[in-house]
Amino acid sequence: MPAPTAPLIALHDVRLTLVSRAGPVEILRGITLEIGAGEAVAVVGPSGSGKTSLLMVMAGLERATSGSVRIAGHDFTKLGEDELALIRGREIGIVFQSFHLVPTMTALENVALPLEFAGNPDAFRIAEEMLAEVGLSHRTDHFPAQLSGGEQQRVALARALAPKPKILLADEPTGNLDGKTGNQIIELLFDLHRRRGATLVLITHDQALAKRCGRTVRMADGRIIADSAEVEAA
Amino acid sequence: MTSADTTIPTELGRPRSAGAQVLRLALRELRSGISGFYVFIACVALGVMVITAVGALTDSLRRGFEEHGELLLGGDVVLSRAHRPAEPQERRWLEAQERVAEMATMRTMARRVDGQDQALVELKGVDPAYPLVGSVTLQGGADFAEAIHKKGGAVVAPILLERLGVKVGDSISIGSISVPITGVVEDEPDNISDNLTYGPRIFLSLDKMRETGLVQLGSLIRWRYALKIANGRASDEQLAQFRDQLEAALPEHGFSVRDRRDPSPRITRSIERLREFLTLLGLTALLVGGVGVANAVATFIDRRRKVIATFKSLGATSGMIFGVFLTQVMLIAAIGVLIGLVLGFLVPVAANAIYGDALPVSISVIISPWSIVSATAYGLLVALMFTLWPLGRAELVRAGVLFRDEVAPEQVRPRPRVIALTVAAIAALVLLAVLSSDSRWIATYFCLGLTAVFALFTGLGKLIAGLARRAPRSRIPEVALAIGNLGGPGGLTHSTVLSLGAGLSLLVAVALTDHSIVRELTTHLPETSPTYFVLDIRRDDATPFRELVNRVAPGSEIRDAPMLRGRLVELGGRPVDQIKPPPEAQWVLSGDRGLTYSETVPEGSRIVAGEWWPQNYDGEPLVSFEAELAGHLGVGLGDTVTVNVLGRNVTARIASLREVQWESLAINFVMVFSPNALRAAPHNLLATITLPPDADLAKDAELARAISNTFPSVTAIRVKDAIDAFSEVFEKVMIAVRAAGSITLLAGALVLAGALATAQRRRIKQAVILKTLGAIRRRILLSHFVEYALLALVVAAVAALLGTVSAWVVVTQVMEIDFTFSLTAVLGALALALLLLMGFGGLGTWQVLRAPAVPYLRSE
Repeated sequence: MPAPTAPLIALHDVRLTLVSRAGPVEILRGITLEIGAGEAVAVVGPSGSGKTSLLMVMAGLERATSGSVRIAGHDFTKLGEDELALIRGREIGIVFQSFHLVPTMTALENVALPLEFAGNPDAFRIAEEMLAEVGLSHRTDHFPAQLSGGEQQRVALARALAPKPKILLADEPTGNLDGKTGNQIIELLFDLHRRRGATLVLITHDQALAKRCGRTVRMADGRIIADSAEVEAA
Repeated sequence: MTSADTTIPTELGRPRSAGAQVLRLALRELRSGISGFYVFIACVALGVMVITAVGALTDSLRRGFEEHGELLLGGDVVLSRAHRPAEPQERRWLEAQERVAEMATMRTMARRVDGQDQALVELKGVDPAYPLVGSVTLQGGADFAEAIHKKGGAVVAPILLERLGVKVGDSISIGSISVPITGVVEDEPDNISDNLTYGPRIFLSLDKMRETGLVQLGSLIRWRYALKIANGRASDEQLAQFRDQLEAALPEHGFSVRDRRDPSPRITRSIERLREFLTLLGLTALLVGGVGVANAVATFIDRRRKVIATFKSLGATSGMIFGVFLTQVMLIAAIGVLIGLVLGFLVPVAANAIYGDALPVSISVIISPWSIVSATAYGLLVALMFTLWPLGRAELVRAGVLFRDEVAPEQVRPRPRVIALTVAAIAALVLLAVLSSDSRWIATYFCLGLTAVFALFTGLGKLIAGLARRAPRSRIPEVALAIGNLGGPGGLTHSTVLSLGAGLSLLVAVALTDHSIVRELTTHLPETSPTYFVLDIRRDDATPFRELVNRVAPGSEIRDAPMLRGRLVELGGRPVDQIKPPPEAQWVLSGDRGLTYSETVPEGSRIVAGEWWPQNYDGEPLVSFEAELAGHLGVGLGDTVTVNVLGRNVTARIASLREVQWESLAINFVMVFSPNALRAAPHNLLATITLPPDADLAKDAELARAISNTFPSVTAIRVKDAIDAFSEVFEKVMIAVRAAGSITLLAGALVLAGALATAQRRRIKQAVILKTLGAIRRRILLSHFVEYALLALVVAAVAALLGTVSAWVVVTQVMEIDFTFSLTAVLGALALALLLLMGFGGLGTWQVLRAPAVPYLRSE
């Protein structure tokens, strides 16, 4: 993996505190992390360690309580909700464990949607190409409910990558799939990452999968307790 | 319950009733609370509330009338007939009763003594025994008997003082005499049994009334005899016996007999009709709310998928699951019914507290067991009807499917027995509505109409969703999202179209019917009707009367006809009390009818069967009957008709059937006799005067003055005043109808709110996904706006069309008047649809936009 020149993702002392009935809960406790362009980083750790929250902060879906969040050159702490949405549409692709496809839209329409939001006139042509890349040319007119779990996740992957984002965030993308289908999705994910050169941040419980990423960040209790990049640097 | 009649073995081998187990499991399941059922409960409660309120209100009024019947009627029994007072023999029989009071009522004119002004009044002459029950109270506590019997004066309603510009102590002219005003009436106990539509009351003593010269044989006077037949309150048995005794003693009496059990059959009938109509509107609200019930049950089942799956995996049968959830849902429906019953009872309590003073008697609000049972039955049946289908589908879903998330629900048709149960619930509902209504055919048509409306809007919902699915995708993402939502699974389309559509259609139909009737009353009728109806023109005065009118208002059109009043006694040889006509023909048999005779076919009539009698016909008495009513009453050509006129039964054979243009307020009669049948009976003429179009109000007033001063015994009724009086009553009725119609829209709004609430989580999730894909808030807002606007437009358009067609049918086919379209009513429907959808939807969208993304994106 080539050494990153300028970090695409730069978090410094990021804290996230949420208020619950029992009082404030510190979800992230001073996260500092830099990820360069083209890197593939696995984020691992037990449930409740703050992995998903970290991902949400990177996606601009959750606002850090304090600290600095710079993503693709944008200071996320200074942007409004709509500005963040526009940046997501252009530069960040997200894949969820539960796919989160729009149920009222076909596979093709789901994939075309972020391109349409970004005002891309070729949205549908690109969406068709993306679906072909993930092997779903024959399913373009199917609604999510008519697709298997694996197929839905492939659509989600195509949708995330369609706008050619600089960053691909994946939150346990195989968590809802059986082993075989999961493996197919992972192959596809890494293949696309390789070919398109997007930075990949992958949350996973699977150690083998984590090893396929060049770098592993280990979290516990809202903190980064290990980062393989630092170990290597050391 | 599906398996309630079977038993299942327990682990101890002791058989335990499946029904008990179902109930226990249902109650255990209810521990999760009733959240998610609030709209369900509200929908059931609202409909039950309307039906209960209508029931309790009519029960209370009926009970009030029964309890105070003696006071309202003025005695245990009242005998009345037109034209002729009791003959000496009849009088002897009447006086042999416990106590008797004699009264005579008529419409006439009261005039200022200077002849400058006159007013139509309801004159009541009473003997010293009046009133037998209660008392007439006068302003200032003056004594009624002294005012009219000792002082020989007139006691008048306050409004007459105002109309004529006179005061107590002044004199007014009635007939050929002038009488001093000696009192102002504050309360008349028995006025409900008179139809005080046309003018204020004037009391005179009977002796004074006779002096006026108005009491002539043939004058339109109603003679009444109030009787106390027992010392104290007469029992029902005594009342029944009295009728038999009367028939035996005076077989040809010709009196209408009323007793305290039903002091005013006309009012009782009106109340009953209104009850039936408002109950049907309540049922509509309940059925519209049923859509909310079905939505709530479907959502409930969706939320319980895992519980159902767990039950199944632990060995519960489909029937057991069906039973448990049906029991649970019906228990919740019972809560709604209970709330509806309580609120429904409170409505008349509140109404009585606020408006009770306007009633002729004080009433205490009660509710009959039947009203409770029927409202409960309506509530539970509607809940059952809309619950069975989604439950029936749930019991068939395989356990494996239930455990899977994020998949489309399997589209399964319930088992045949569930379909049969649904059909049985619908049939029971229709039977209840039809059998509990006197106007069964109206109730039947109403049910059929409702079915058609539901079918239409269900079809429309499917059509919109289908079209949205098939529509080419818009290149504008907001529009594509909106159309996607319209066609997508779990969308709002079906519920919204059905709930709002039915409510709006009803409102448009009511508004347009109202508009057409008001237009008829305010524009069409006054334009086509004569200016005056003139009663009691003596036959000798016919020519001088014409001359006067032509002199004062040249160019006026005058039509006259002989006018007698008589009761139908027999039709086709059958006594009328054995004939059960449909409600629209009931009026012909009850009370007096105007009768006339004519040498020629009257204007506005057309012979449709048989032949008119020749000039100077002198054979067997003949009659021409109105064709449609003859059909309803089951008589035809050649049948006999017996009427009692002036105490004499006159039998005539039906020689022809006529079609009559009732809509023109010309002189029209149901029965027109051959002259030889009635000419010999003492009678007066009825006339209409139509002033020339250029006549102004001054000419109108001048003619009224001239008639009144020249012919003091003649009564001129200004048609416009009569129409105004009717319009006033009509408007009051329409308020009740509009209120009940609005309840249906309220039910629709509840369903809409429920459907939006159910869809809210899905919509928030969708918005969050869109945000992750780069959608800004304006896009989401716009897509919601487009979706709601499209829905509102389509629903309002179809509701406007359906409402217009329904109103057209009612107005032109049932009421047989001209239909007038009102764009305001239709635009009102559109505005309401937009308001409701944008209001509720906007609230939902606001929450959607505010919702944090993360909880919806985390894996469940």
